[in-house]
Amino acid sequence: MSQARQLTFSIFRYDPQDPNDKPQMVRYVITETPGMTVFIALNKIRETQDPSLQFDFVCRAGICGSCAMVINGKPTLACRTLTANFPSAEIKLMPLPGFELIGDLSVNTGKFMRELAERLQLWLHPNDTDMDIHRIEAPMAPEEAAKLYELERCVECGVCVSACATKQMRDTFVGAVGLMKIARFELDSRDSRTSDDFYHVIGNQDGVFGCMTLLGCQDACPKNLPHMQQIAYLRRKMTLSVTNL
Amino acid sequence: MKIIYTDSLVVGAGLAGLRVAIASKERGLDTIVLSLIPAKRSHSVAAQGGMQASLANTVSGMGDNEDVHFQDTVKGSDWGCDQNVARMFTHCAPKAVRELAHWGVPWSRVSQGDREVIVNAQKVTLTEAKEAHGLINARDFGGTQKWRTCYTADGTGHSLLYAVDNRAISMGIPVHERMEALKIIHDGKRCHGVIARCLITGEIRAYVAKSTTIATGGYGRIYEVSTNAIICEGIGQALALETGVATLGNMEAVQFHPTAIVPVGILTTEGCRGDGGVLRDKDGYRFMPDYEPDKKELASRDVVSRRMTEHMRKGKGVNSPYGPHLWLDITLLGQKHIDTNLREVKEICQHFLGIDPVTEWIPVRPTQHYSMGGIRTKPNGESPQLSGLFSVGEAACWDMHGFNRLGGNSLAEAVVGGMIIGQYVADFCEHTSLNIDTQLIESFGQQIDAEINQLIDGNGTEKAITLKQEMQKIMMDYVGIFRNGAQLDQAVKALSELLMRSHNIGLTCKKRHANPELVDALRVKRMLKVALTVACGANARTESRGAHSREDYPERNDRDWLNRTLSSWPDENALLPTLTYEAIDVMGMELPPGYRGYGINNAIAHPDTQKRQQQIEQILTELNNPSDRHAKQAALMPYELPDQFKPANQRLFDNVDVKGDTAK
Amino acid sequence: MAANPLPAKAVLSSNHAKGFSHPIWAARADRLQSATGVLLGLFLIMHLHFESSILFGKEVFYQVAQFLEGGIFSETGHGFPILTQIFSAFMLLIVLVHAVFALRRFPTQIGQWRALRQQMQFLPHEDTKIWFWQMISGFLLFFLVPVHLFAMMTNPEIGPHLSAERVVHHNAWMLYVLLLPAVTVHAIFGLYRVSIKWGLTTQRFALLKLAKVLLAYLMVLGVASLVAYIIIGRSLSLPVVPFVPGL
Repeated sequence: MSQARQLTFSIFRYDPQDPNDKPQMVRYVITETPGMTVFIALNKIRETQDPSLQFDFVCRAGICGSCAMVINGKPTLACRTLTANFPSAEIKLMPLPGFELIGDLSVNTGKFMRELAERLQLWLHPNDTDMDIHRIEAPMAPEEAAKLYELERCVECGVCVSACATKQMRDTFVGAVGLMKIARFELDSRDSRTSDDFYHVIGNQDGVFGCMTLLGCQDACPKNLPHMQQIAYLRRKMTLSVTNL
Repeated sequence: MKIIYTDSLVVGAGLAGLRVAIASKERGLDTIVLSLIPAKRSHSVAAQGGMQASLANTVSGMGDNEDVHFQDTVKGSDWGCDQNVARMFTHCAPKAVRELAHWGVPWSRVSQGDREVIVNAQKVTLTEAKEAHGLINARDFGGTQKWRTCYTADGTGHSLLYAVDNRAISMGIPVHERMEALKIIHDGKRCHGVIARCLITGEIRAYVAKSTTIATGGYGRIYEVSTNAIICEGIGQALALETGVATLGNMEAVQFHPTAIVPVGILTTEGCRGDGGVLRDKDGYRFMPDYEPDKKELASRDVVSRRMTEHMRKGKGVNSPYGPHLWLDITLLGQKHIDTNLREVKEICQHFLGIDPVTEWIPVRPTQHYSMGGIRTKPNGESPQLSGLFSVGEAACWDMHGFNRLGGNSLAEAVVGGMIIGQYVADFCEHTSLNIDTQLIESFGQQIDAEINQLIDGNGTEKAITLKQEMQKIMMDYVGIFRNGAQLDQAVKALSELLMRSHNIGLTCKKRHANPELVDALRVKRMLKVALTVACGANARTESRGAHSREDYPERNDRDWLNRTLSSWPDENALLPTLTYEAIDVMGMELPPGYRGYGINNAIAHPDTQKRQQQIEQILTELNNPSDRHAKQAALMPYELPDQFKPANQRLFDNVDVKGDTAK
Repeated sequence: MAANPLPAKAVLSSNHAKGFSHPIWAARADRLQSATGVLLGLFLIMHLHFESSILFGKEVFYQVAQFLEGGIFSETGHGFPILTQIFSAFMLLIVLVHAVFALRRFPTQIGQWRALRQQMQFLPHEDTKIWFWQMISGFLLFFLVPVHLFAMMTNPEIGPHLSAERVVHHNAWMLYVLLLPAVTVHAIFGLYRVSIKWGLTTQRFALLKLAKVLLAYLMVLGVASLVAYIIIGRSLSLPVVPFVPGL
């Protein structure tokens, strides 16, 4: 095996709670190890060079959505990004734009997602309100269940929000994550909401009609969700629904 | 210090914690959840394979019921579990699955007619009943007699956590994110809440509540390599331990999952083997049938992990820079199955190994995965020692898993335990009043202030991260799958020394707000105590039971060790826990100890076992209606449940005559 | 940090609003923008092709122009230039409708503009870049297209010599040099975006490739036609005599 590379990380550093601190890029050099991910590298930097470096990891397996950041201009999950993917050995890390900065690479996606869920009512509104947990469950078409799961795979990492120029320009725009979740509940036969109900939530300039189809969401989504298709579907559905409004 | 008052305080926003919070809120109680991270990022989300519940919709699950699930769970636990709790659990599991469907979980459903599956590396056609079409499906998992594991592709934990958190959001349950509980407020008899620190601002706050429920998950991260999320550091167990009153149960019972990828230790679900994947050695040879001709790859997890380790010790492992490993082969399942039902596995292989599991084998080896031990509770979830302190999920030793947990029983425990204990928590809150002693609260707050001041302003020289890494290495090397007295002695000694050194931790980053080094320092002191309970418990237990396997004591010894280890921490400056034991009463068992069905039967019997067997036969012969399984069960071991969960579970074959066991 | 993370509900645009702020207009605006865009885009493709008939000679172009002006209905066979005027006015209306609804998309505040530029700098992304150029070209067209259409309304005569005269001697080439790239870029990527926006295709990357090929083709066609007019125009002596076929 050839000699291990020296990787240079340029990392955005800023502590918004420290009145004397200013945003800056700081360089750290570490030796690459086989199979190294940005998760491993950042921990190494924290252990050996700067214990104050802030970042968020939880599952470190690409499942929980905690660790999204902008890596060499691409917003993605840091835990499953291999350093070997960068032939230049220069890796630039920036926090995800569009979210409240906690410090360095750590942003408050949790707060954003919770507020979004409350604003758009992103939960199942069951149509049979008197369900009996002791009796056999209501059947559901196996294909429907499979389709729902496909849309459920969103991990709320925030990548789609940061990759969306529309969202960056217009803060009140719901962004792809909200629209995708609406599409998921719209598809669910167990949900009692009608198209008109959804129209009241996303049938406006901050909702589906504010989307300009720039598709940063779809191109950056770490779970390869079908944003283009689903948002187009919602747009058609909402346009049809407006005639009944 | 700000004091926040509530009725029901829940620490941890995973499935179990949220489910308790929902139950509290449903009963009209003021409820607050504390979490290190946003709720939907909790480690529950990582559970891939599924949740066991005896719905018996699929043809391979026909004939399943609570009794069969109960037997599997008890056998799986190597008779270490509390059978009352196992009964409570198996009875409510189908209810939880059905409730979750109502909350939005898109459970994979049964399609009527023929479908091809892989069983024992052979293609088999199953014919699903017309009546079962659209009902909740189940897959095969290790250590079970029936196909019982309900799933949504391989993102079951994700779907469950999202549905449950969405439910919590819809009810307006506040989750205080990035709040870390650091101390339990108590007066030696009664728990009054916790002192917590905000990870963003560093603010220290008291949360005072009628009931405090610890649902912080397991302690996998005391090991160097673990499938657990990096936040699963056993802080919840440490909180209880540090009260000096509450006890931890069976901390030495640590499960190693057979198939985590090498080297990073990320899990590939048991569903891989459940759906037909096999294990191979360096020669590509499928070795499990040699060891376990009956269950093969689908033996209980502890058994498979030990067999794999044995096989690698024979030199049959594949050598790699990270030590030997074996292969998990799912290529025989085919692209379509992998792309739909094992998608997370595929993504993990692609991103972390750079391989495609459709065509290539996955490098795996047994890796720390689950903590059966935890905060000891009564069947109602409350600590026997500290009133008002509840615990649920992996954080607890409610004790339905004993010394080994079955795959698919952890997600199930989280939601079912949360459902049941949530009612008991609400009952408790309704029947007690908030007890406020501000002086007591302040004094606990001052302890945390003092601890932080010492770390920041003191002259400590030890690095928290170094201590943590040394601890993790010790646990890995000496308290692993196979254990022995000499190594455990060494582990205990070394961990005690580390604990001593941890009094001398100093920080280079002196910030009092967001400061990862401070967080590490506060945690490592606590983790070391938890690690010591594991090592000491393992050292003292001179037998092999479930996942606790002693090379120097290979037999299960019911005569001397049919009991539960209880650890407590004697005083602040102690370097070792105090161990006591709680006997498991054979005379109260529905299923007395027997042969588990793996390897040689070398168990040393308990003197009561035979007596109880005879007693059971006697009871059964005296029954008026011997064919009624509910009556049988009630006669053998009556158990408690909240009233609303008592009704029987309806199943398809209760009304419809569907033939089971029709695999062609 | 707030004690209670339950936030105040974000205010959604009111569903009780009247007039254009009524939510019904959100859907209408989106539909009208797309519909007018498609109309303009398709028209442009035809327009450029009719235009380019000059490449087959003056005779062909003459016939095409006569046909489009309704030559077969006129007694002289020369058509009605007023048709060009009416049509131009109609197109101007469509352009205005399109512009009004498209303007909603423009970054109107300096903060929005900065956010967009910063986004493009830190997170380079092809479709965002394409949209950016569509926006810039759209902005240019807002000024260029009306100039072109007013010219056609005030001076509707179309013919090999008359058009060439306009291009060379009235200096319309300066307009066309700007107009051609702006309008083709805007139209082709607009058609691409409208297809994916409403889900007319899922083959996005194939469509994008097609759009780029079409764009290159239209540019070549447009430039060649323009050159042809310039050559014709330079060969004409003033005052220009309209082209008469068969001479």
